[in-house]
Amino acid sequence: MSSASTSTRLMVNMAEIHVLTGAGQLVGLGLGSCIGLAAYDGSKKIAGLAHIVLPEAFVDRAVTEPGKFADTALPELIRKMELAGASRASLKFAYCGGANVFKFGPGKTNDVLEVGRRNADAVKAVLSKFSCRVVAHDVGGNSGRTMTFDVATGLIQVKVLSVGQEDLCTLS
Amino acid sequence: MILNELQLSALTEISNVGLGHAATALSTMMGKDIQIDVPNLDSVPISAVDRYFESPESEIVGVYLPFDGDVNGNLACLFDWSSAVNLWETLLGSAPETAADVDELYASVMLEVGNILTGNFLNAIADMTNLRMLATPPTVGVECAYTVVSTIICQAEYTDAIALAVETCLYSESHSITGYCMFIPDRPGLSLLLDRLGVADVA
Repeated sequence: MSSASTSTRLMVNMAEIHVLTGAGQLVGLGLGSCIGLAAYDGSKKIAGLAHIVLPEAFVDRAVTEPGKFADTALPELIRKMELAGASRASLKFAYCGGANVFKFGPGKTNDVLEVGRRNADAVKAVLSKFSCRVVAHDVGGNSGRTMTFDVATGLIQVKVLSVGQEDLCTLS
Repeated sequence: MILNELQLSALTEISNVGLGHAATALSTMMGKDIQIDVPNLDSVPISAVDRYFESPESEIVGVYLPFDGDVNGNLACLFDWSSAVNLWETLLGSAPETAADVDELYASVMLEVGNILTGNFLNAIADMTNLRMLATPPTVGVECAYTVVSTIICQAEYTDAIALAVETCLYSESHSITGYCMFIPDRPGLSLLLDRLGVADVA
């Protein structure tokens, strides 16, 4: 595994999982109903981020993008972290997203817009199923979030359009 | 489900007619002659989510609504920020300074624009195909382009529907408004539509 330079800023797009070691930043841009799920091995400075799109894989279809679904993304994220040298027992997690960004209008309570909440519930459930240590989460609401995960320090910041950037937690 | 060229061109054609009706209605609303052009229609894979606006971090306004009837699905109208400002200034005489300043009043103007565009779009397609499609109450979101488009694609994937992006340019003498309409029928509905248009899959 190569060490990234401090300037590395890696976008983790929908359905992707990326792992960086040493330094750099992982970015989950514009999370709406999607969830950014971060994992960190602080002693080895190995950071991973999954950009989850849906709560669970379709039962009747082969999973070609494990990062897309909450139930397949977590085991794949752990596998990639271990492949990069992380120790599973020392992994800490944080996640954010799962909003409903269509906040105005008479249709805003329509349950078709509930995929954000379902995503958040699914991520919580799968983390619990795998007995993962969750340090912080920031889900729901009506605002999109951009998640920035600093590899060297484990600091996770969340930027919301109307609020600006705030620290979520430090996974160390 | 991958659409062939014939199917895409049939869908582009009905979108053109549908948005033509929508433009006429918008002209009446704005008191200005609005021309509309649909240069392109394509299905939207997840990997193309950031293709549709200049910058994925630029702010856009999205109007989103489900429709039901013989065909179920969702419709979205997306406007880049400067186009949204043009719409607000024309219809309301003022515009919010930033996306965070969009309140219920500004949102209600977009709801109305969305209602008019989508209602006329659906009616025109319903008339051509003899399939009933009724709009249900809309919602509005103001966020960065990536957030809005990814949320719409999430919903589409969640309900196993196909997101079709219709590039839409509206012109008037004084204002140019560009945006996307996304027409997102579910799979059975899309099959029914293609069948009525005479371009159903042979398989």
